[in-house]
Amino acid sequence: MIDVLIGFYIATLITELFTTRLYRLLGWYALNSLFLGLIAIYMGAQIGDNAMIISGTITIIIKFMLIPYVLKYIATKFKIPRNINPNLKVHYSTIIVPVILVFTYYLVNPIIHNMAYNANYVALSISSLFLAMLLIIEHKNIAPKIVGFLSIENALFLLAISATKGMPMLVELGIFVDLLMLIVIVNILFKHQGDF
Amino acid sequence: MLIIFIPSILLVILSFFKINRTLMAGVSSLIIVPAIYIFLHPFVNEYFLVDKLNSFVLLISSIVGVGVSLSMISLPDRLNLNEEAIKRFYRFFGIFWFGLIISILANNMGIFWIGLEFATLSTVYMIKVKDSLTAHKEAWKYLTVGAIAISLVLFGIILMYASAKGVLGENAMNFYALANSADKINSFLFEIGFTISVTGFFIKMGFFPMNLWLADIERASIYPVAALFSGILESAIMLGFFRLSKIEMLVNASHLVTFSYIYAIFTLFMVSFLIYRTKDFVTTFALSGIEHMVLITIFWVSGGYFAALLHLAAHAFLKPALFLSSSMLEQKRRYSFKGALKGYKNKLVPLLISLLLLGIISIPPSPMFFSEIFGFKAMLDVAQDSDYFLVMIFAIFIIMILLSIIFYKFITIYQEALYDGKDEPKKVYKSEIAMLLLFTISLLALILPQVFDYIEGIIK
Amino acid sequence: MIYYIIQVLSIFLIAPFLVGVIKSIKMFMLYKRPMSPFQPYFDFYKLLYKEVIYSKESSAVSKIAPILIISPLILVVFLLPPIFSGSFYVSFMDAFTITGLISLSTFFLMLLGLDSASAFGGLGSSREAFISALVEPAMILTIFSVSLMANSIGISKAALNLASSFPATHAASFVLAAISFFILLVAENGRIPVDNPETHLELTMVHEAMILDVSGADLALVELASGIKYAIFATLFVTLFIPFGTELPFALAFLVFIAKLLIVSVVIALLEVNTAKLRLFKVPNLLGISIIFGFLSLITFYILGGVA
Repeated sequence: MIDVLIGFYIATLITELFTTRLYRLLGWYALNSLFLGLIAIYMGAQIGDNAMIISGTITIIIKFMLIPYVLKYIATKFKIPRNINPNLKVHYSTIIVPVILVFTYYLVNPIIHNMAYNANYVALSISSLFLAMLLIIEHKNIAPKIVGFLSIENALFLLAISATKGMPMLVELGIFVDLLMLIVIVNILFKHQGDF
Repeated sequence: MLIIFIPSILLVILSFFKINRTLMAGVSSLIIVPAIYIFLHPFVNEYFLVDKLNSFVLLISSIVGVGVSLSMISLPDRLNLNEEAIKRFYRFFGIFWFGLIISILANNMGIFWIGLEFATLSTVYMIKVKDSLTAHKEAWKYLTVGAIAISLVLFGIILMYASAKGVLGENAMNFYALANSADKINSFLFEIGFTISVTGFFIKMGFFPMNLWLADIERASIYPVAALFSGILESAIMLGFFRLSKIEMLVNASHLVTFSYIYAIFTLFMVSFLIYRTKDFVTTFALSGIEHMVLITIFWVSGGYFAALLHLAAHAFLKPALFLSSSMLEQKRRYSFKGALKGYKNKLVPLLISLLLLGIISIPPSPMFFSEIFGFKAMLDVAQDSDYFLVMIFAIFIIMILLSIIFYKFITIYQEALYDGKDEPKKVYKSEIAMLLLFTISLLALILPQVFDYIEGIIK
Repeated sequence: MIYYIIQVLSIFLIAPFLVGVIKSIKMFMLYKRPMSPFQPYFDFYKLLYKEVIYSKESSAVSKIAPILIISPLILVVFLLPPIFSGSFYVSFMDAFTITGLISLSTFFLMLLGLDSASAFGGLGSSREAFISALVEPAMILTIFSVSLMANSIGISKAALNLASSFPATHAASFVLAAISFFILLVAENGRIPVDNPETHLELTMVHEAMILDVSGADLALVELASGIKYAIFATLFVTLFIPFGTELPFALAFLVFIAKLLIVSVVIALLEVNTAKLRLFKVPNLLGISIIFGFLSLITFYILGGVA
C-alpha cells in the first residue's frame, strides 16, 4: 500500500516537471501533498506512532488544502502569468529525469545498507529532492520556483518519515510554521511588486 | 525564559503604531538586556541550553543590533525613507531577532533550523525596505537561493538524526547528546548528513559556487540590512557550523579538515580576485565578509578555537560598522573610492573609519591581528601533526598569498579614499558618530587581557 | 488450438466495431444522432467496390504500401497474449518484437504519405514520425517493466502469469506502467489529446493527412489497419493491465475479454469528449510523461521491490 502511495507521490512530482500551466501545477502539487499525507498517516498507523498520524493530517490540511488555495488566490489577485514554460526543453528533461532517478539510487546505495528500516523509500525521497530542485532550476518564473521549493519541503518530509520514523513533534510543527511564514512572505513580496 | 523574547515582540507590536523613530531605536536597543541577562544567568531546559559559546555569540549579536538601531535614527534622512519603510524594517527586525534567539540558544538541531529559517525568511523582506527594481529582484533571489541552502541544511539534519536515532532515540537531535555518543552513531550516515548540512551553511554564507549572490543582495538592500547579514545572521550560521563540526571532529577529524580546507581554498581563490576587481564599498565589504568566514572556518577546524571566536567577534563588530559607515562614504557617489574619506567637518569620523578599514585587514592593534596570529599557529600545528605535512604547508601558503591580494586591495582603497579625488563637503549625523564609537569601543574591549582570558575559557 | 483461432478471428472481426463504438458514443455525448456502431463494416464493404485512383506523381510504393501497412499488424494479432489460460499461444513474443512490427507498419504508412507528393502527405508523415519516435521507447520500457513483474520476457506468458498470481508487492510499478501504456494507447492510435481522427483541418491532421490521396480498396485496407492497430493496443492493455478472467471457462473468459475491450473503448470515448486537443508541440510533454512513467515503473520495480 505504501509502495503504491509513494509511486503516486513521485509520479505526481514528475508530472509537475512537465506541466506548463500554473493552476495545473498547483493541482499536481496538491495531489503530491495528499499522497504524502496519506503515506505519513498509513505509516504512522502501521508503527503505532500518533505523532506521525497527526503530522500527516496537518500535512493534508495545510499542504493539500490551504497552500494551493492561497497560492491560487495570490496568483489570481496579482495577475501572475499562468503560462509557465520551462527553460529546459521537454526532450532534455525526459533524459535528465531518468538519469536523476538512477543516479540517486546508486548515490544512496551505500546508505541503504546502513539503514535499519525503510531503506528503499530513502532512495526515492532523495531523488524526489533532486527532482524538486530541477523544478526550481528549469523555470524562470517565480511562481513555479515557489512550488518547487514547497516540493523540496515535501521531499524532506518524506525523508524524515521514512528514514527516521518521524522527527520530534515540536520540530515538525516548527517546520509547518516556517512554511506558513514563507507563504506570508511570498504574499507580501507579490503585493509590493509595483511599489517603486 | 519567555522574558528574553519580550523586546522583539514589543518591537513587532509597536511597529504597527505611529512612533517617533528615536524612541523606536531605543526600544530596539533593549534587545541587549535579555542578552546580558542570559550571559549572566545561563539556563538549561528541554530544548534550550545556554553555555558560554552561545551566550557569547548572542551578546556580540545584540551589541551589533544596538549599533544598527543607532544608525537607523539618521538613516531615513540620508536615504529618503518614508515612515512606512521604517516601520517595515522594525517589524521584520523584531521577527528576525525572535528567530535568531531561538536559533542561537537551541540545543536541538531541529529547533536551531527552525529559528534560522525564521530569521532567513524575515530578512527576505528587509531587503526590500527601500523599494527598487534591483531590490525586488534580489529579494526573490535571496528567497530562492536561501531556501535551497536552508533545505540542504534540513536534509543534512534529517540524515544526522537518522544516523543516531537507533542509539539515542528522540535525543538524537540534541547537540550535546550527539557529541557525547559520537563513537556509537552510524558514522557513514552522519558524515553524509554533515557534509550536506555544511554545504548548505556555506552556500548561505556565500562560499564557493555562490560567491557573488550575497554581495549582490547586500548591494541592493539598505546599509543596516547588510550589517545585519554580516554581523548577526552569519554569526548564527557559524555557530551552527561550530556545533556540528565539534561532533564531526569526534567522528572523523581528518575528513573535516580536508573538506574544509579544500572548500576554503576554492572560496578564497574566487573571493580574492573578485575583491581585486570591485569598484564600490559595499561589494568589497560583502566579499571580504566571505573571506573572514572562510578564515573562521579553517581556524575552527584546525583547533584554534580561541582564534576562531576572537575572529568571529572582531568581524562581527568591524563589518557592520563598515557597512553602516558606507552610508557616509558613499553619500556623494556610489561606484568610486576616490575622496570618500575627505571633506568631513568632524575630524573624528574619518579617523574612526580609517581605523576600522585598517582593522579589517589586521593592522596590529586590531583584534584580528591577534586572531590571525593564533589561527595560523593552529593551522601550522595541524600541518605538523598530519601525515601530509607538505600538502598542508602548501595549502597554508596559498591561503597566505590569496590573503595578501586582499590586503593589497584594501590598502589601495584606503589610499584612494584618503588622498585622491576632490574635497567635497560631506554630512555626518550624530547617531552615526555614536554608532562608530560603540563599535570602536567594543573592538577595543576585545583586546583587553580579561576578555582574551574569557574567550580562551569558552572552549577548553 | 481452436481457442487460439477463435481469439484471432474475433479480434479481426471486432476491430472495426470498437472504432464504431467509440464514434457512436462520442456522437451521443455531443447530442448528435449516433450512427450505428457497425458503420465501419459498411464503409469497408463500400470502399472495396470503389475505383482505385493513384496520383500522377506516385510510384510503386503507393500500390504496395497498403498491403505492407496491414500485414505486420495481422502478424501481431497472431502473436497477441492469450485470453484464456488453456489456449495455445506464441511464446517468443516480447516487447521488442511487438514494437518493431508496429513501427514497420507505421513506417510504410509514412512512406505512403510521402509518396503521393502532396504537401499534406509530407506534413502528416513528419508529424507521425515525431510522435512515433517518442512512443516507441515508452512502449518498450512499459512492456518490459510488466514482463519483469510477471517474471517472463515473453508477453504471452507474462499475461498468464499476471492473471494467475498478481504481483502485489509491485503494485506501484504496475499502476505506473498502466498509466504509461494508456497514454501510449491514446497517442499511437491518433485519439484526441494527440490527434483528432475526425478532422480534415490541415493544422491538426496527423493520420488523416497521410491518407488523403488513398482511395478505394487501398483506403479500405488502411482504415482496417488502423482499426486493427487499435484492437491490438486495446488487447495488450486489457490482457496485461487488467489481468483477470483468463482462468474462467473459455466462453466466460471470451465474454469477459470482449467486455473489457468495450470498457476501454468507452473510457477512451469519454476522454475524447472531455479533453481538448493538445497543440502539436505540447505532445512531447504528454509522451515525455509516458516515457518517464515507464521508466519510473522500472525503477520502482527495483527500488521498492526489494530485489536489490
